[in-house]
Amino acid sequence: MLQQMPLEAISPAVRPHPSFLRFLALLLGAGLPGAAAAASSATGAVQDGVPRLEATLLSGARVLGPGDTFRVGVRLQMAPGWHVYWRNPGEAGMASEVRFSAPGLAFEALAWPALQVLRSPDGSIVTYGYADEVVLFAPAKAVSLSGQRVRLSAVADVLVCAVECIPAVLPLERELAVGTRMVEDVEAKALLDVAAAQVPWPQARAGLTLSLTAPLTLRAGTAFVADVLATGPDNAPVALRALDAFIPDRLPAVSEVTGASVPGQGNHVLLRGKLLPEAPSGPLVLHGLLFLQAPAKHAVEVEVPLGSVVPKTPVAAPGPVLGLGWALLFAFLGGLLLNLMPCVFPVLALKAYGFVHTLQVGGRRTSAHALAYAVGILASMLALACGVLLLRALGHSVGWGFQFQQPLFVAALAALLVAFALNLFGVFRVGPAGTGLLGKVEGAHGAWRSAGEGVLAVVLATPCTAPLLGTAVGFAFAAPPWVVVCVFLLVGVGLALPFCLLVLVPHLSRLLPRPGAWMERGRQLLGFALLGTAVWLGSVLGALAGVDALVRLLGFLLVLGAACWVVGSFQDSRRPRLALGAALLLLLLGGALTLRFEAVHPSASASAWAPDVVAAELRAGRPVFVDFTADWCLTCKFNERTVLSRPTVQQALAATSTRYLVADWTRPDARIAAELASRQRAGVPMYLLFSPYRPESPEVLPELLSESRVVEALHRAASQLSAGLSPATFSGEKTRP
Amino acid sequence: MKFHPLAQAVVAVMLLSLPAAAADVGQPAPDFTLKDETGVAHSLGDYRGKVVVLEWTNPECPFVQRHYSEKTMQKTLAAYAGKPVVWLVVDSSYFTTPEKSAAWKKSQGFTPPVLQDPSGTVGHAYAAKTTPEMYVIDTQGVLRYAGAIDDDPRGRSASVNYVRQAVDALQSGRTVPVTSSPPYGCSVKYKGNT
Repeated sequence: MLQQMPLEAISPAVRPHPSFLRFLALLLGAGLPGAAAAASSATGAVQDGVPRLEATLLSGARVLGPGDTFRVGVRLQMAPGWHVYWRNPGEAGMASEVRFSAPGLAFEALAWPALQVLRSPDGSIVTYGYADEVVLFAPAKAVSLSGQRVRLSAVADVLVCAVECIPAVLPLERELAVGTRMVEDVEAKALLDVAAAQVPWPQARAGLTLSLTAPLTLRAGTAFVADVLATGPDNAPVALRALDAFIPDRLPAVSEVTGASVPGQGNHVLLRGKLLPEAPSGPLVLHGLLFLQAPAKHAVEVEVPLGSVVPKTPVAAPGPVLGLGWALLFAFLGGLLLNLMPCVFPVLALKAYGFVHTLQVGGRRTSAHALAYAVGILASMLALACGVLLLRALGHSVGWGFQFQQPLFVAALAALLVAFALNLFGVFRVGPAGTGLLGKVEGAHGAWRSAGEGVLAVVLATPCTAPLLGTAVGFAFAAPPWVVVCVFLLVGVGLALPFCLLVLVPHLSRLLPRPGAWMERGRQLLGFALLGTAVWLGSVLGALAGVDALVRLLGFLLVLGAACWVVGSFQDSRRPRLALGAALLLLLLGGALTLRFEAVHPSASASAWAPDVVAAELRAGRPVFVDFTADWCLTCKFNERTVLSRPTVQQALAATSTRYLVADWTRPDARIAAELASRQRAGVPMYLLFSPYRPESPEVLPELLSESRVVEALHRAASQLSAGLSPATFSGEKTRP
Repeated sequence: MKFHPLAQAVVAVMLLSLPAAAADVGQPAPDFTLKDETGVAHSLGDYRGKVVVLEWTNPECPFVQRHYSEKTMQKTLAAYAGKPVVWLVVDSSYFTTPEKSAAWKKSQGFTPPVLQDPSGTVGHAYAAKTTPEMYVIDTQGVLRYAGAIDDDPRGRSASVNYVRQAVDALQSGRTVPVTSSPPYGCSVKYKGNT
């Protein structure tokens, strides 16, 4: 058909560049010099001189009488391998558009026959459209005829794609006679009837009831998964197509909507999608097509009410909304509030306790201590600001508490806290004999200690966000350097202020409990508070580097405890320095043995999956085992521990020289998702075993593996004959679609 | 190994509640390092503190050609001259070469670097599906807009330029009013789709 169409008048001598031609096509519609006089059929989407599209205007009636109803349509015929798009083109492309006009005729909305799902060869791009041919039509009615003839016009505005895409705008026209009663155009009517039979049924006609199996929380800015049950008329059983059971229309405020039937439950469809952050509150109804397999194989136009959208959770307002003044105020208030947060509180309690003791001892130098404490806080805030600026300049992404991403830092801090706690328990003292921790407050060392406590307060404060603080720091991180410094310093001022006030305003200090015998118990109690903070740090480290790392940390803390004990035991002996040396040696040895934190790799020998690696290995004659897995997938981990890492399986892999590839879906990966979808899987685990003798049909192993099953399959894959197919018979099969 | 049906059901439910894949608006944009057509490497992290616009392109796509001949991209970029806005063009077509990109850049007279991603790695990381497809990333590296340049697939008259809307909003500290729109155009010609 297409090949017989007359080619457009393109002079070979002055043939323009194809891309220019396509551009011209875009501007001029049909894009062709002779396209002015529209005919009832036209060709377009010309590539290298060959049209890829032919459009024909169809009318179900040749002669019209007053009040007659009939159908008009445009038949789009594409060259093999080319397609046009549905009203929702999917992830690429452009919706087809057909407009009809004629004096005295009224047209209803365009009808769309059921679409085909078109996937790019690698499966990563899914579009909806029509390959080969489609008739898009509209019911028409003769409302006010006059004269002998009616000129029926149509414009087909479509994008025609194979690998490449070519737009085409084709104006079409034909004349219909006006008579007393309608005369059908038999050929056109036959084509229109076929198209009409392919149009999805309205939901009412199919008698389909759709209901959510559980109420949904639809929050703007989040994803949703709705399990929808389909029931036929009079509760008749319904079976949906497995893959692409639901094809969505485009809806504002919703993206990435897909629908697949639930495996083993053909009357359930899982609708997934995302609500954009700006999705308006109120009822959400998904429109689209549901594809039935039974009772009859047809598509149904459906509306699925999913419930009511609630607004996005109000998170801390985005930083730039603040003015600088507000940011500084928030920084100060946030710093104040940090004093109450659980991660800083132990240090402050300790500080307050030390202060009470200072009063007890004499209270002359309290202001000096307060000053030292404030200086400690401000200096470490300044250091932190500089660190942030330096890392930012180096192009790293940093946040409040970024240092806690380093396992070694977390471990060191936990060790410091445990040592501090042991000190409070009285296991050892810091400084010369006879004074102990509390005595130091009096001396020159006391000022250093206060400053050190300030530093500790800041270090511990960073992973804790107080109200308002996140907003202020968020603002700072996107601001020029001097703002970063100002915001950090003001957080420091806020953090230091309550304690300084307590010390410097005499009236306030009277509110503190009187020093007394309770202080010894109080001191020990504070030691437990510090240990609590260390426990929390342990959980941080565990999350960063795994259980292994946590055990290493505990081991180091044990060594640390022993070292402290050694120091404390011999502190009043004649040779305390020797004890200190021994303790340090113990710490060094313990540290060297334990403080090594590495990211855990699940299986070091396995390499990453890629389709071309599979192809290369198969060409080399080796079977390929692909393990589709993810860190968060418990089943995958279970299989890896109990089956795949077992010696029998490892031996079978080696014996069959099977290449073991891992497709890690821990992070989103479009290629893996596409591969899973092409095997009709919603997720991991999936185990594929490719045989070099049957490369097109890998064996899909069950989700729960057993050693014997895997070993058998490996030997089957390595064997040429086990499935009764030789490479020769297989290659014959390969050519079939 | 036999498993209790209940255990299988539990596993099935776990598998069904998987997170969806793709670069999400409101989440940190995937970092990358790609060389442009002159061989200079660009990392997303280099532009922290600036608003970054990513434009997926393919000079052979008629939609891209239309926007360049109508100067949509050039005008959008020109509106931010002297402002802390960075525009990076990315070509994930398997057939892209520095020479082709350089020639196209010269013929269209535009300045942004054309990052070469013939393997499609970065395209897949952003789940870019069409050309032209646009991404707007804020000063802190968070994706704030993903989708079409405007609401006018057919080149009749655009009522809104989503990229301008998003960048303007970020510049003045407002929330981006529309964070995603259905992209239109050619599919990205990823490796493996010949």
